[in-house]
Amino acid sequence: MRLPLTVISGYLGAGKTTLINRLLAEDHGLRLMILVNDFGAINIDAALIESRQDDTISLSNGCVCCTMGADLYMALGDALDRTPRPDHLIVEASGIADPAAIANAAIAEPDLSYAGIITLVDGLNGADLLRDPLIAPQVAQQIKVADMVLITKADAPPPELSQTLSEHDLRVPPVLQVKAPVAPLLSDTLPRPKGRATAPHPVYVKWASDDPGELTRSELKARLTARPDGLYRVKGFVAGPDGMNEVHVVGKHLDVRASTAQAPALVALGLSDRLTTRQIDDWWFAR
Amino acid sequence: MSEITVFAAQKIVTMDPSRPEATHVAVQDGKILAVGGPDCADAWGPVNHDGSLADSVLMPGFVEGHAHMMAGSMWQFAYAGFHDRIDPKGKLHKGMTDIDAVVSRLREFAADLPPGKPVVAWGLDPIFLPTERLNRTHLDSIADDRPVMVMFSNFHLMCVNSTCLEMVDYTRETNVEGVLRGADGEPTGELQEMAAMFPVMRRTGLDFRGLSQTPEAVKTYADVCRLAGVTTITDLFSHMEEEDLEVLTQVTGRDDFGLRLVPALAAVGASPQDIADKANRLGKKSTDKLRMGAVKLMTDGSIQGWTARVKWPGYVGGHPNGLWNTPPEQIFALCETMQANGVQMHIHVNGDEASSVSLDALEEASRKHPWPSARHVLQHCQMMGPDQFRRCREMNVCTNIFSNHIWYFGDQHAALTIGEDRATRMDAARSALDEGVNIALHSDAPVTPLGPLFTAWCAVNRQTMSGRTLGDDQRITVDEALYAITLGAAYTLNLDAEIGSIETGKRADFAVLGQDPTGVDPMALKDVPINGIVFGGNVQMN
Ligand SMILES: [Zn+2]
Ligand SMILES: [Zn+2]
Repeated sequence: MRLPLTVISGYLGAGKTTLINRLLAEDHGLRLMILVNDFGAINIDAALIESRQDDTISLSNGCVCCTMGADLYMALGDALDRTPRPDHLIVEASGIADPAAIANAAIAEPDLSYAGIITLVDGLNGADLLRDPLIAPQVAQQIKVADMVLITKADAPPPELSQTLSEHDLRVPPVLQVKAPVAPLLSDTLPRPKGRATAPHPVYVKWASDDPGELTRSELKARLTARPDGLYRVKGFVAGPDGMNEVHVVGKHLDVRASTAQAPALVALGLSDRLTTRQIDDWWFAR
Repeated sequence: MSEITVFAAQKIVTMDPSRPEATHVAVQDGKILAVGGPDCADAWGPVNHDGSLADSVLMPGFVEGHAHMMAGSMWQFAYAGFHDRIDPKGKLHKGMTDIDAVVSRLREFAADLPPGKPVVAWGLDPIFLPTERLNRTHLDSIADDRPVMVMFSNFHLMCVNSTCLEMVDYTRETNVEGVLRGADGEPTGELQEMAAMFPVMRRTGLDFRGLSQTPEAVKTYADVCRLAGVTTITDLFSHMEEEDLEVLTQVTGRDDFGLRLVPALAAVGASPQDIADKANRLGKKSTDKLRMGAVKLMTDGSIQGWTARVKWPGYVGGHPNGLWNTPPEQIFALCETMQANGVQMHIHVNGDEASSVSLDALEEASRKHPWPSARHVLQHCQMMGPDQFRRCREMNVCTNIFSNHIWYFGDQHAALTIGEDRATRMDAARSALDEGVNIALHSDAPVTPLGPLFTAWCAVNRQTMSGRTLGDDQRITVDEALYAITLGAAYTLNLDAEIGSIETGKRADFAVLGQDPTGVDPMALKDVPINGIVFGGNVQMN
């Protein structure tokens, strides 16, 4: 069983720690492990995380000046070596890190499975950051590589932020709802542990099929590539003439590989302000 | 009253302006009792004369103001570099100029390893190898029954054999950034950046954390230093947990340990106030051979990696500007808190925007908390011009200049990174001295090899690997360079009252040389033999 890894990214003060605390507090039955990459950060976010046990590891990235930053990777190795292994690994990237580099580790490591980059944009000062010539390129990069971008500290996208985002050729993301559960953003395990189902919430669109039909590998890839805008995750098993294929989509990332699973099943999740169940249905069954 | 030893030398270059040259130095209790002729210490009672160094030239032990402890530990792996290097045991490793030489050297290395043990090598620089790029086929011919991995000199790339690729399941199906594929669609074995490298490292047990702070790493570091005539060195970005302090105190405290180690605490991972408090706590635990209390700040990346923050017009070829490793607002916050708490800072600045922002932060901090004698040090300073050096002088900020870059990367800087005209004035030691700034010169070992005389040679001659002189007008004199690698560097570490020159009252730390560096052709400065050191009055020959 590969260990899913989600990267939570965003500039200093974007609300990464708050999001992680919400994930820890929700009743999802998942054993989460948090890696906090504090390199360059001056207040240890790890200390602010309401950790339950020793499931939070703080890193200060022992980067030998100008040569490398190996600590994070060594810690990923440590997490994989833990018994029992956690159900889901969350890396809180440092405020200036390029989350794509961390995500790439999850894609490269055979024992990890990539579960997406979530980048938070500060609704209060995001516009200022994107206009600061010293720091804007790094902030914009965090948004560009994300699979899911969410605005924090606002009820609706602030007009000034929307304006600066479009100046950077970035689309305006939805806001992170204060009341909605956030665990569905992780939803990687199938079936969910102990038969638990997350409470449905109007923020999310969920779709599932236990009869997704039979597709060749290239048909399957073509179908997934043509997925509707706003579909965040697709996960499951689809039968084909050469056997079962495992499907794994998160944001922009798409992975199809041969699987020994017996039963076909497919689940999908998106945000309801972008997508309806009907649209997902139409897409998959090509209606 | 303990014994007095009078060392005779062919010549002593003291760096003391009152007595620039001498033939004898008297030592008592590890300190310099007197300097002069054979009778220099006669007023102090009976003396023992020691003639064992009579054919050597003595200088103050060299001071390396910017290096990392890993420099010693790398030698547990096979060396695969282009240049000749000397390992901590004093053994010469000839450089390898083509892939065949690398392969045959690694075959020899593999033959001496226990069966199944991974073959790990370091220091490869493909730019300097004329034939094709190293690939898995080459490495399979070294061993196909166990992992073979060759790290490149910059630590950002490695090449591995087929055994490694199988271990991590990298195949033609793999679509991972940094896993290079050849024209046939198969992985070539070259892996770029940590994300692609780490799955292999994890399975072969290669852990970079073991390369610093262990007793073995500290001891090897001292060996590397002795071979280079260095008696005081920094470890400039140290993490220093409680157990590390114990190890360091214990190992450096041994009588036969001949090195003053100056770790600078990495200013990351805690609030500025906590970092300052920790630095001050560590400072109080200093010993004569372990000097703590300073911190190291990161700001930008490196020029050769295009990650340094450079001012307009940026990088040639349109490469985007580099990355902040610490965002500017935090540089300001750290500077203010360190200044307020009396903590000296070493600040990594490669690009000129990083040095500019750091100077702004230091200026703001010094308005709030005046501390004219802080001796904060900008490290690398590679693109600073006279304007920034003038600001350094105004604020009493020191600079430690990365002169080795001129030789190792100068040609690439001119052609690929910042272009000809800014390359000719990079690592501008001349400008710094002309503006009245205290300078040191450094190697940043293991990024480039430790060797203060080589570093001095770089600043004096400014020659690149292709043989050209990069910026004639930024050359400094031999005397200026020798000052920079002794007293100049000691000043940046707040140790100039104790080390850096051979004068009465200071510690008896000397470099024992085979020739007089002030007497040889400046082009031969790097070839002056290092015979050993005297540390606290004890002779340790190579
Ligand atoms: Zn550096
Ligand atoms: Zn360094």
